[in-house]
Amino acid sequence: MIRRVATCAALGLALAGQAQTASAAPFKPEGTPKVAMVLYGPRTDGGWSQAFEESRVRTEQALGIQIAVVEGIKESASAIRPAVELFIKRGYNVIIGTAFGYSDAFKELAEKYPKVAFLNGSGTTNGPNLESFYGRTYESHYLCGMAAGAVSKEGKLGFVAANPFGVVNWTINAYEMGARQINPKATTTAIYTGSWNDPVKERAAAEALAGQGIDVIGQHVDTPTPQIVAQEKGIHATGHHRDMKEFAPKASVCSLVWFWDRYLIPTIKKIGAGTWEPSPYGAFLSIKDGGPDIACCGADVPKEAADRVKAERQAIIDGKKVYGGPLADRDGKERVAAGATLSDADLWKMDWFVPGVVTQR
Amino acid sequence: MLIDFLVNWLAAVPEFAVPFALAALGLLVIEKAGVLSLGAEGFMLVGALAGIGAILGLGDHPAIALAAAAAAGAALSLLFSLLVVTLRVNQVIAGLGLVFLAQGLTGLVGTTQGWVNRPIGGLSALSFGPLSELPVVGPILFRHDAVVYLTVPVFALAAWILGRSMVGLRLRAVGDGPDAADAAGVSIGLMRFGATAAGAALVGLAGGYLSVGIARIWIEGMSGGRGWIAIALVIFARWQPWRALAGAVLFGAIEALIPRVAAAGIQVPQYFVGMIPYLATLGVMIWTCTRSGSRSLEPRALGLAHAREDR
Repeated sequence: MIRRVATCAALGLALAGQAQTASAAPFKPEGTPKVAMVLYGPRTDGGWSQAFEESRVRTEQALGIQIAVVEGIKESASAIRPAVELFIKRGYNVIIGTAFGYSDAFKELAEKYPKVAFLNGSGTTNGPNLESFYGRTYESHYLCGMAAGAVSKEGKLGFVAANPFGVVNWTINAYEMGARQINPKATTTAIYTGSWNDPVKERAAAEALAGQGIDVIGQHVDTPTPQIVAQEKGIHATGHHRDMKEFAPKASVCSLVWFWDRYLIPTIKKIGAGTWEPSPYGAFLSIKDGGPDIACCGADVPKEAADRVKAERQAIIDGKKVYGGPLADRDGKERVAAGATLSDADLWKMDWFVPGVVTQR
Repeated sequence: MLIDFLVNWLAAVPEFAVPFALAALGLLVIEKAGVLSLGAEGFMLVGALAGIGAILGLGDHPAIALAAAAAAGAALSLLFSLLVVTLRVNQVIAGLGLVFLAQGLTGLVGTTQGWVNRPIGGLSALSFGPLSELPVVGPILFRHDAVVYLTVPVFALAAWILGRSMVGLRLRAVGDGPDAADAAGVSIGLMRFGATAAGAALVGLAGGYLSVGIARIWIEGMSGGRGWIAIALVIFARWQPWRALAGAVLFGAIEALIPRVAAAGIQVPQYFVGMIPYLATLGVMIWTCTRSGSRSLEPRALGLAHAREDR
């Protein structure tokens, strides 16, 4: 719901330089890390929370430890505090949160329990023993946009999005830029449903897009509804959170997939070794740092295009910037100068669109 | 191009109108008996959950799922009736409490059962052979699911029962003048329990249609405020069934239109568009309130608990 909604605003401020005191020294744990995870939703939600659950299991296996988990903890301090304090009472000293709405409660708890390390996915608060982390989701959506451009007959793509915030807008722009790598005439028509989680509105949006002759639908909402609609209509789709082939084996050609374990494993190791220094601005993860990656490509993506997706993915890992200049918006205004890269602060407040994106105002 | 747009839009209207229509009709039945039910959202939520639960638990039989949704609404209504009819609790408070109860209960049951985001087959459109293939009329009239076609007869039946039958007369008497009805030998309690259960079954069915018919997936709190709009629709309709149906079609048309305008690339302000259903709700409320002279069938004892000899 709101967990990632206002991430843009708040994190944007933090990144814009509302400085929080950086930790002078690395965090020193007491004893070995005993890790617990607090999930926002049910661990079988098919999306956000399940991606964390799967990362939790992979982290357990990689580190040979047990990670306790509690699910369905809503974004209110009265729900978060007892859950976290119970873990701390039982001796857990690394607490992983999973929601934007945990930010304030985690900040408070981190101050109250300075000996405990706190990590919070999609949070906005940081401190000497608290680090929020999120992914550069535009990288994966850029790559999935390429796959979408490759399977679309006429380059008419659609996108079911939640709210017109920077965090969503950057995925839509990247999607269109990726599609144009394959088909320079591609367009992306985005519909904002106004909600992260409304399958009725998502279905309405996806069906409306299909009704306009759009043959690939991307998504940045939480339910797999757009994938299911694409499967019903015999068109294609690209997913978000997890590999959406599970819901639409034929239609789903590419998905953004969270691999939080790629961030959690080294971070927990560092906490254990006493070398962890949380960033005062949070961890904003690229593919190579453990950010979201892709599950690509479905059988309907031509081999040549799939190879180009792989090559671009490697290029991003090697340092290519999706939002590298020169870049102009659809009204012709220059947004990124040649040779420059869009700053993180500008990413979080993105309210402009690249040429080829069609949206509501 | 315009024709395509209109056909595509009109063809989508019935599916969006049905939840509003059934919910509004259910509320209308309850309110005709003098019980103010603000718990519509709650009945919808349990209906949506029961529908998906029946399919995931008993197999993909939409008819059974919809029956379960109606039954769940009716079952929850017994608690509501116990509060407001038997114990004479304030109906506004009890209705609001019911919504919160249903929100928590359905969220708890649905998530612990693992029913979140599990796609189902659900209801599918009926096929009328060549009729469904006709241009323009085919998609608009002949490609809907069974519930859409049953909604109009259900309205006709409800309008007939309320307006023309003995049961309807008694029900209206209970809502308009419970003391007189009581003196005439009508059991107020029984009538109100029955009307509330029947109405709540319809509202539950509307909720089940959301999960089993439209979304074909369940998430927590999926009625998304549609129950509240149904409450406004009843006022807008001035407690007349056919007007409630017209109002539901209007809201269905708006809900179907919003994404289609965006998909067609027409650039309209997104927040304004999101506001339209609620703006329309306010608009029709103001319109109904300021229009004098027109006949309102608002039950005179709406929201008042009845106690014999208690003045």
